Amino acid sequence: MKVPPGVSPTDFAAALAQFEQAVGKEWVFTSDEDVALYRDAYSPFIGEPDEIVASAAVAPDTVEQVQQVVKIANNYKVPIYTISTGKNLGYGGSAPVLSGSVVLDLKRMNRILEVNENNAYALVEPGVTYFDLYRYIQEKGLKLWIDVPDPGWGSPVGNSLDRGGGYLMAQYRNHFDSHCGMEIVLANGEIIRTGMGAMPGAKTWQEYKTGFGPWVDGIFSQSNFGVVTKMGFWLMPEPDAYLSGIVYVARRDDLIPLIETLNYLENTRVTNGMPDLGSPLLHIPMISEIAEWNEGNGPAPPDAELAGLLAKGEGGLSPDLEQYALKNGIAYWSCKLSFYGAEKANAANWEFAQEKFSKISGVKFVQKENYKLPLTPEQREKVHKPQFGIPSLTMFSIGARSPVNPNPTNGHMWFSPIIPRTGEAIFEANRVFAEAAKEFNVPALSFSLPSTYWERAFIYIFAFPVTRDEDTNKKNRAAFKRIVQRAAEHGWGEYRTAPAFQSVIMDTYAYNNHALLRFHETLKDAVDPNGILSAGRYGIWPKHLREAKA
Amino acid sequence: MKSRREFLQMGVAALSLPIAAGTKAAASPSVPSKQATPAAAAPVQLYKVVFDTRFSDSVSFAEEAGRLGATIHGIRGDMTDLWYYDLDARWKKSPVAIAGLTAHGPLFCFEQLAWNHRMRVVFRAEHKYLPDGRVEHSITGPESMVQQASNLRDANDWPNRIANVIANCPSARAKMTQAKITTASRKSAPQENETLFSWVIAPVKRA
Repeated sequence: MKVPPGVSPTDFAAALAQFEQAVGKEWVFTSDEDVALYRDAYSPFIGEPDEIVASAAVAPDTVEQVQQVVKIANNYKVPIYTISTGKNLGYGGSAPVLSGSVVLDLKRMNRILEVNENNAYALVEPGVTYFDLYRYIQEKGLKLWIDVPDPGWGSPVGNSLDRGGGYLMAQYRNHFDSHCGMEIVLANGEIIRTGMGAMPGAKTWQEYKTGFGPWVDGIFSQSNFGVVTKMGFWLMPEPDAYLSGIVYVARRDDLIPLIETLNYLENTRVTNGMPDLGSPLLHIPMISEIAEWNEGNGPAPPDAELAGLLAKGEGGLSPDLEQYALKNGIAYWSCKLSFYGAEKANAANWEFAQEKFSKISGVKFVQKENYKLPLTPEQREKVHKPQFGIPSLTMFSIGARSPVNPNPTNGHMWFSPIIPRTGEAIFEANRVFAEAAKEFNVPALSFSLPSTYWERAFIYIFAFPVTRDEDTNKKNRAAFKRIVQRAAEHGWGEYRTAPAFQSVIMDTYAYNNHALLRFHETLKDAVDPNGILSAGRYGIWPKHLREAKA
Repeated sequence: MKSRREFLQMGVAALSLPIAAGTKAAASPSVPSKQATPAAAAPVQLYKVVFDTRFSDSVSFAEEAGRLGATIHGIRGDMTDLWYYDLDARWKKSPVAIAGLTAHGPLFCFEQLAWNHRMRVVFRAEHKYLPDGRVEHSITGPESMVQQASNLRDANDWPNRIANVIANCPSARAKMTQAKITTASRKSAPQENETLFSWVIAPVKRA
């Protein structure tokens, strides 16, 4: 059995015995077979000595048990690493950052404490999954939607604390933004509640976010300052209807006014769903088209001329492409707008959106979907389910095998830089990342479009494959670190990453001699002086480990 | 590296086959194959055997499993509905074993979800088409199953034989071993030659 770093075998044995008293013997896992389940399913170190693994796991059922576990851990200085459902694949999964930590597995805390239909909120524990909450709402016939990530098997608490995103209206897509109120167990075992929850008997804990005084909720996201044991979320009332319309533009540089107009329409809430960018010319499907294209319902394969032109462009786009597009009547770019709301309002907003886009010469419009809600069973089978608040695992059926990744069974690492919300930034990012891919000897990057999970900024999400070959994994990890630096040189920071790269990425947020990290460390030393909570998460190391590394 | 869009787009062309989902070939639970070795432990009771309607090998596997008495369930690559409408509730009541011959995605999902219910993959075989059309089978499982699987060697009906192997998955914890075998295959369309995985997921008593 692995022993946590800095803990004697005697102390560890004593701590485990006390964990068993606190939560029950059956919920403390120390066998190699059980602890192996907490490996990162997409570990980029698989099979290597550096692979980060837990020493044990403990699964409490109640807040009181969490408090006991935390106090025991503090007493023996055993590092613990909190997970909710451990499905954060591509960003670390269920493995700790500090090898040898004991995983604090909150899966058993899976109670839905309240769902209020009138005020459209829910209060849940960390082990509640999106599927659990969806089922609860469906079974009770509530007219509420949840905003789900894709895949939807994670937990609202876990996903929002890692600042994940979804597919509905903007205020719900940003999962952390849509939370309202938290309960946290601190490193000393004390419980705090944020926002209105800090008032005993508060009537608005899930209705008013900020309470009184400093709003501390943010420091518990992407961090290790406490163990969140309850979290409230604002849910989306089921709209009257859904409409989608696609805007097609003809020329390469039309991307710029396309995005400018989109931004205006989104920021004024004319369109309130997730914008979805694509390129019929470059054979880049919109996110909502991917499943359809994979079923063979996409455009015809490029002819020889187009294939030749596409092969020439790597991040830059040949001007010959535009000529080909104009000659053949193929749109260069597409953008699907989504409208949730009253049927008449959706139609009016789509009409207004078309007026705004009409300044782009040659623009075309196609109304795609127009549904009264709720969906019929037939409609439900056709739609991109997350855009209707329906959790799904469909993406695992799509597959990821390709000539550049012939063995996709080992997963991927997400490289997720944030870039400005402009067409110019899209062109620049493609050029920079294509050059970097060539320089760092990773497979060539064809032109790519960003996603719009967040308002006001774009996000690129690139997959670095995890393979069965140690040398390839080492090469990809090195390339990942270099491309992170390259992105930072251009002012593009990542929003989230796996434990293997959290310190590397935190290092790029270096303004004023890493003042932000130093601030994080000051907080860490104050609230968790023994450094037992999720050591190293997002680059925040406790004092004794910082000193050891120095 | 690939963007998330390209990553999701790299799929396999689907092949639709006229097999209805949820076909119940017999009312009884899984019965042992006639090829079961005398020393084999009682086979694990399989709640469902999953197959992918897109792949003729998987359909053949399911037909044989059905003949052996299993309740078969067809998916078209996506296991979400089987999980949501059936297994999620079933496993919450008590863990029950399932088996299948599918692409990797469904196996991966079932395996991850089964862990929450103290279940593991107790048998796993990768069936990979080689450039010359033969199939390479990499098998990990209980000794008795791997031994039985060795009769794949001269077969060109490996899906049917694998169904028989799976029907004999022991219910008790067993010594695990591995083997790699190559077989001929029936001719099938190139787009079908996705590497498939046969598997059994079952409750496991803690060591």
